[in-house]
Amino acid sequence: MTDMKTLITIDRRVTLKWLMGAMAVGQLAACGDGAKGISWPELEAIKAQGVGKDPDLLNPVVPWPLTMTAAELAITADLVDLILPAEGDLPAATKVGVPAFINEWVSAPYEDQHKDRVLIVNGLAWLDEESKVRNGVGFTQADASAQKKILDDIAFKDKVKVGLEKPAEFFGRIRSLTLGAYYTTSEGWAEIGYMGNTPGTGDYAGPTPEALTHIKGVIEGMGLTYTAP
Amino acid sequence: MTPDDPHDAVVVGSGAGGAMAAWVLTKAGASVLMLEAGRDYNPDEAPMLSMAKDAPLRGVGSRDKEFGYFDATVDGGWDMPGEPYTMAEGSEFMWWRSRMLGGRTNHWARNSFRMGEYDFKPYTRDGLGVDWPVEYKDIAPWYDKTEKLVGVYGTNTGLENHPSSGPGVLQPPPKFRVWETFLKAGGDAVGIPVVPARRAILTKKIDERQACYWASGCGRGCGIGAAFQTTTSLIPWAKKTGKLTIATGAMVYEVLLDASGKASGVRYIDKATGTHKEAKGRVVIIAASTGETARILLNSKPNGRSEGLSNSSGQVGRNLMDTVGSNLSAYFPQLEGRPRYNEDGAMGLHAYIPFWDYGRVKSGEAGTPRGYHVEIGGSFGDPGMGVGGGLDGYGASLRGDVKRRYGARIGLTQRGEMIPNKNSFCEIDTNTKDKFGIPVLKFSFAWSEHELNQVKHFQKAMGELVDKLGGTFTSDMPEPGKAISKGGEIIHEVGTARMGKDAKDSVVNQYGKSWDVDNLYLTDGSVFVSKAHKNPTITIMALAMRSADNIATRLRTGEL
Repeated sequence: MTDMKTLITIDRRVTLKWLMGAMAVGQLAACGDGAKGISWPELEAIKAQGVGKDPDLLNPVVPWPLTMTAAELAITADLVDLILPAEGDLPAATKVGVPAFINEWVSAPYEDQHKDRVLIVNGLAWLDEESKVRNGVGFTQADASAQKKILDDIAFKDKVKVGLEKPAEFFGRIRSLTLGAYYTTSEGWAEIGYMGNTPGTGDYAGPTPEALTHIKGVIEGMGLTYTAP
Repeated sequence: MTPDDPHDAVVVGSGAGGAMAAWVLTKAGASVLMLEAGRDYNPDEAPMLSMAKDAPLRGVGSRDKEFGYFDATVDGGWDMPGEPYTMAEGSEFMWWRSRMLGGRTNHWARNSFRMGEYDFKPYTRDGLGVDWPVEYKDIAPWYDKTEKLVGVYGTNTGLENHPSSGPGVLQPPPKFRVWETFLKAGGDAVGIPVVPARRAILTKKIDERQACYWASGCGRGCGIGAAFQTTTSLIPWAKKTGKLTIATGAMVYEVLLDASGKASGVRYIDKATGTHKEAKGRVVIIAASTGETARILLNSKPNGRSEGLSNSSGQVGRNLMDTVGSNLSAYFPQLEGRPRYNEDGAMGLHAYIPFWDYGRVKSGEAGTPRGYHVEIGGSFGDPGMGVGGGLDGYGASLRGDVKRRYGARIGLTQRGEMIPNKNSFCEIDTNTKDKFGIPVLKFSFAWSEHELNQVKHFQKAMGELVDKLGGTFTSDMPEPGKAISKGGEIIHEVGTARMGKDAKDSVVNQYGKSWDVDNLYLTDGSVFVSKAHKNPTITIMALAMRSADNIATRLRTGEL
């Protein structure tokens, strides 16, 4: 279980800053009334300030208040760590700040993010309700195997349990956000093998000998002609 | 000098066409006042190596920053508060504005393909559209001068209708990356060329501009000057002559005429104070972008004439064209798990597919009269918010899938020629004004069967290529009518004040000089006669350089 400090103060040792007021809103809402049932109602659009047409590109700020409740963040934390759990040296999703990013995302005053907010806020409520029905306790109180049993009904596109199409849509979306948030961190870059964003001098080095040998094998294996770059 | 002083030339716009004209003229000794509607911009503002995670929402586009948080465009985009445009019923058009010093050159893709012999004489070839008043050979020397000045990487492929640059003009292109080599192998097998691209990016240092350092998306702006933009080149060079005065925040809306019918300057709103001002010059050059240039001409009403200025032909605003766009994405299992290395390179095209099917176009077998090129994208790039697309499940298997699939997808983007048609134009909407009180543009736009047939050709050809390489498209092949871009969406709009041989059916002559007003010139995309599949910026600059050379001569001889 991730502690509350990790959930709301996320470790972003970067220039990005959330407004202090925004943090306060998130904390005040911490004892809020998360689950609203499973009817997937439309939510009121967020009318906060966006980044504007001419923000400071070198010193980014998230100008909108964060809106997720502590209960929602706690469910989110468990869920994203099931999506990307720690594995060997690879950190779990919460360790690189995914729940806080999802809070930032669903709180944004833009149309695309509003659609996700409706899906995610309701989806988290559904997950909690579903756990109560199946396990007698909310999602975060359920043990990992009970949590996974619910996910197994909504996480695989060819095996979605009939009637759970909406929760499956919710899961697909939060999975996509989780992966995007995770693999855009330094830790994610290291894992996936992104080696760019590194200025160099001289000519572009191009593929390594190993990469060329590999693609030559692939191309010739298909009966095609390889041309060295 | 100050903006209130009369200058030899008043240039409206600071993008590709305006800055080129200003540099040529100041270098020739003329004093130039450049008026830019947007704010001043310094490329040091470019967040070159910032990570997506440093930006709100991982830098994804929003209505505020449509091309993403780190895109260089400030105070611009499709949707500008207080500066609307309207559309005729049944029409959809997207109009990108870039209100900043340097205009769109701060964020363009830098793709720089020359128009060829066929492209200047489309009517002669197939009876559609209109011929240019010039031939390729008239413009070739100006392409050479422009490419040399700007710095363009690429090779001379010798392919039909893809002209070679002069000796020593091009800079060496960066090496193909693995996925480009892979695509070339497939292309070689099915007869589709995959060749080095041409881009306005330095691979060797010139003057104070650095060579590309192989990182940082070019759309963010290039603070080291490697990716060409006027704010790191033409504008500072023109300033160095001591002959350039720049007024930013100067929203031009009208050309002024004197009693003899010559242009005496322009009228603009100084946005900082809200006051209306006049700028005076011996020659007026408008390069405000295709839409905005037409708007200024149509909103200028000499002697109350409703047709607008320089519009005795009735062609101002007509012949609006954009590039034909459509996209496909293919997944190649053969590229899964390939060895990692740094594939950022020049952060854009190293290779591309130039149009190759001219023979079958001529015989009619191609089913489309005009060509396109294909811009290709793949690479081990910053995974970005789209990394989870198409994935399934959760946990350890998901992690494995992410790594396996990374770098195995290739995007194929059609960029094709549009033929001008009578249904595509812009005019003044007399019912709507922007926040400055200036009447806005109203767009009408429609593709014809020619463009839709071209999308079909693209889809079929890419199907063969992808199939040969064992790949599959990531979604079903859409109908051409659904696949094709919206008008304006590719941001290559041109043609609203075309050049020609005859004042009866064109707005300007081959030098961009108005047929109606002897000292009024246009040096942006508005003068295009056709919209070849080649991205327009390098041609805008070559034509602007040629126009400005003509203007400089006429200023010197006292003709102006």
